[in-house]
Amino acid sequence: MGIVPQLALVSVAIFLLTYLIPGSPAAVLLGPRATPEGIAELEERLGLDQPLVVQFVEWVGGVLRGDLGTSWFGNKPVTKVISEHLLPTISLTVGGILVAILLGMSAGIVAALRPGALLDRIVGLGTATGLAVPSFWLGVILLGYLAVQLGWFPVLSWTPPSQDVGLWLRGLVLPSIAVGIAGSAVIARHTRSAMLETLAAPYVQTLRAMGTPRRTIVARYAIKNTMVPILSVIAFQLSTLIAASFVVEQVFTIPGIGTQLINAVARKDVPVVQGITLVVAAAVIMIYLLADIGYALLNPRARPQ
Amino acid sequence: MIAAVLAPVLAPYDPLSQDLRRALEGPGGDHWLGTDYLGRDVLSRLIFGARVAIQASLQTVAIALIVGVPLGLFAAYRSGWWDRVLMRLLDVADSIPGLVLAFAIIAVLGPGLTSAMIAVSIIFAMNYMRLSRALALGEREKLYIDAARVSGLTERNVLFRQMLPNMAGPLIVQSTIYMGTALLIEAALSFLGLGLDIGAPSWGGMLSGATQWQNQQPFLPWPPGLAITLTVLAYNLLGDGLRDALAGEGSIRGIRERRQARRLSSRPAASAAEIDGPQAERIALSIRGLSVAFPTDTGIVTVVDDVSLDVRRGEMLGLVGESGSGKTMTGRAALGLVPIPGLVTAGSVRVDGQEVVGSSEAELNNLRGGSISMIFQDPLVALSPVHTIGRQLTQAIRNHDHDLNASAVQDRAVELLEMVGIAEARTRLRDYPHQFSGGMAQRVVIAIALAGQPSVLIADEPTTALDVTTQRQVLDVLADLKDRLGMAVVLITHDLGVVADACDRAAVMYAGQIIEEGTVDEIFKEPRHPYTSALLAAVPTSAGGSGRLPTIPGRVPPMDALPTGCRFAPRCLHRRDVCKMGPIELTTGSRCIREDELSLPGTTPVLRKKS
Repeated sequence: MGIVPQLALVSVAIFLLTYLIPGSPAAVLLGPRATPEGIAELEERLGLDQPLVVQFVEWVGGVLRGDLGTSWFGNKPVTKVISEHLLPTISLTVGGILVAILLGMSAGIVAALRPGALLDRIVGLGTATGLAVPSFWLGVILLGYLAVQLGWFPVLSWTPPSQDVGLWLRGLVLPSIAVGIAGSAVIARHTRSAMLETLAAPYVQTLRAMGTPRRTIVARYAIKNTMVPILSVIAFQLSTLIAASFVVEQVFTIPGIGTQLINAVARKDVPVVQGITLVVAAAVIMIYLLADIGYALLNPRARPQ
Repeated sequence: MIAAVLAPVLAPYDPLSQDLRRALEGPGGDHWLGTDYLGRDVLSRLIFGARVAIQASLQTVAIALIVGVPLGLFAAYRSGWWDRVLMRLLDVADSIPGLVLAFAIIAVLGPGLTSAMIAVSIIFAMNYMRLSRALALGEREKLYIDAARVSGLTERNVLFRQMLPNMAGPLIVQSTIYMGTALLIEAALSFLGLGLDIGAPSWGGMLSGATQWQNQQPFLPWPPGLAITLTVLAYNLLGDGLRDALAGEGSIRGIRERRQARRLSSRPAASAAEIDGPQAERIALSIRGLSVAFPTDTGIVTVVDDVSLDVRRGEMLGLVGESGSGKTMTGRAALGLVPIPGLVTAGSVRVDGQEVVGSSEAELNNLRGGSISMIFQDPLVALSPVHTIGRQLTQAIRNHDHDLNASAVQDRAVELLEMVGIAEARTRLRDYPHQFSGGMAQRVVIAIALAGQPSVLIADEPTTALDVTTQRQVLDVLADLKDRLGMAVVLITHDLGVVADACDRAAVMYAGQIIEEGTVDEIFKEPRHPYTSALLAAVPTSAGGSGRLPTIPGRVPPMDALPTGCRFAPRCLHRRDVCKMGPIELTTGSRCIREDELSLPGTTPVLRKKS
């Protein structure tokens, strides 16, 4: 499906969320002691008195102009709320996916080289555990022991890179591990099976029959072939990883979008929740698109001739 | 699970009772796992938390199953417009991570697990829909659904009674995975204080409390964290176990069996018949008493049994047999390429006088491509699809010529391609395998095999995957190169026409043994084994006038249940009781005990004209 209709459908779904609120959002906002006049006034101010279709058209029009509305608290534009906290979230997500890819692919490859051997079993156990460990708990443990007790990493995990690049990177290590472990387990499992399949492929036999050392076969030929199916796994992990990073931010007190989202959820700041959800969905759709492009780059058969 | 049900009985303390004087204690006598910041017993809270966790995961998955599976079946069964609408919904669900949707729902409906987990179950439901739709589409192809429809069952009956039981396996496995995911999402929500009331015992909530007091009591985060991890792990292992059970056997044979097989294997016999005299130099490949075995459930199965062959330079030997006769495995063993877990259990393979069996991987890599090469059946999968053919060709050159500079390697690659008859060789080096036709790709594979100037080439069904017109050309290329380079070629094939066409000598294999060997003329005109004769009779000839083509009755016996005597006896028209008495030796070129009394019909090898 094209991106544009998919984004359109997603935005409709996100817009309609607001209308799941029982009764008037204004009444919910003002609490139990609200007067009918107060509710009416707030509804007018927020544009909630307009018919649904009008509200939707305005919202979509705003989205298209890059305007995601205004927070119900503090009158801050949603786009500003997002852009101010984007850097920590992107840093953490990129850090997490790097951990997931590096750890996951190397573990998967190592396991596939000697199926059934000790290392393969260790990786099997590790991935099963990695899938089960809650990222935020891992964060709590890493922070408590490695940062607070041993002092190997800064206790304050977030330092803007503009202030100190070294500290920014060091602070990101533990949260990235916490965010990336689950993804690394999934990637390791898929890499292992894709690698096993590749190593059994006829072209690997051809390479062996011409006397190519096993090391060269794996490093120069098998990994690139294995990457082709793994790419979509990575893309899918990236989308779940974004959600995980929102929770892990809380553990490491990183001022990212997740913190904004969770605050907004707690006080029912619907425009902010809508805006962030839409941005996440758009990011996920873009990631899938990039994965498709990457697929074409890796796989010559998918390229237009 | 048990703990969750029996929580009130098991828990040593009321999960809500506080004892501030005993707050933040470590594990010990009264409180096995210690107490939290309000002095509440951690073990008791953990046990009650299990109820929340397991209830949430069960509920979520149950709702998702109830909604998703019927939708998927419906989409598959109705297809068309309904299917498209449902699939669009799936795309939307795909682009919003489950946890983020749960956040959004809580923002709208207020904190609480029920509404959030319902939202999560909607996302799961979408994935169940995808899974059950795919499964149903697969099942629908199967005949029994048609049969059911014909016999007048209603649509609903077909969907629920017939299809669903067949899809249960994958759905159950997926459910165990989702139970874990649901539990993790529940824990995350509780951890963030968006789930249950903070005072109520839930693992996520306990963790959140533990975090704040971690400095005073570092043990506090461990029990709830481990509880979550172990429960999700249990779900996942359950899923893995179910999947393995449903898939039947594990795919990879155990190491134990391989070791067992290895113990059986012997080093090559030093006494392997040495060949002397002027003949010796001309023999490029010499196989003596080669046996290859595979460990299986029923024991060790020998798939190549005591095979001996000699191939001279400039000679093409046809290795003929039905699939499963062991001809390919013989070829692979010549390069030390018997696939795991198979093993060479006896015999010797010498290439240019050098022993293959028992050689180290480094020694083998020198031999492979340098002294002996192999080309495989389907050229389109014999080349890495994501690398250019130039890359693969230069790899083959460099494997045996380490000091060549880049431009010399390039020139050699062009020369090799031209040698196998590929036009515009220099530009084609930059092409990928899929840009070649089957015949051209097979020429590339041959060029790669020749890069290290081997003296032996094993060609495993090199023309089987090609269409008839290109088969001819590829055979010509092989025959031409054999003459020009003075190579010994082993042509593995099931096609006697190909043998008549291109080979000088032929060896016929049946059930792992060579049953007859001789020159092509001998074998075709005067076959001495009934199997060879039967094979020849089954070849369509332009001369052979009318009637149906004869076939060989019966089938090749399974390698783990071979007849005691002659392996062909059960299918042989000429069998006598003696044939079943004991193993038959390969005597003067045939493995038939009645060789001398039988006069078997042959045929004239029809040579197609060289193009």
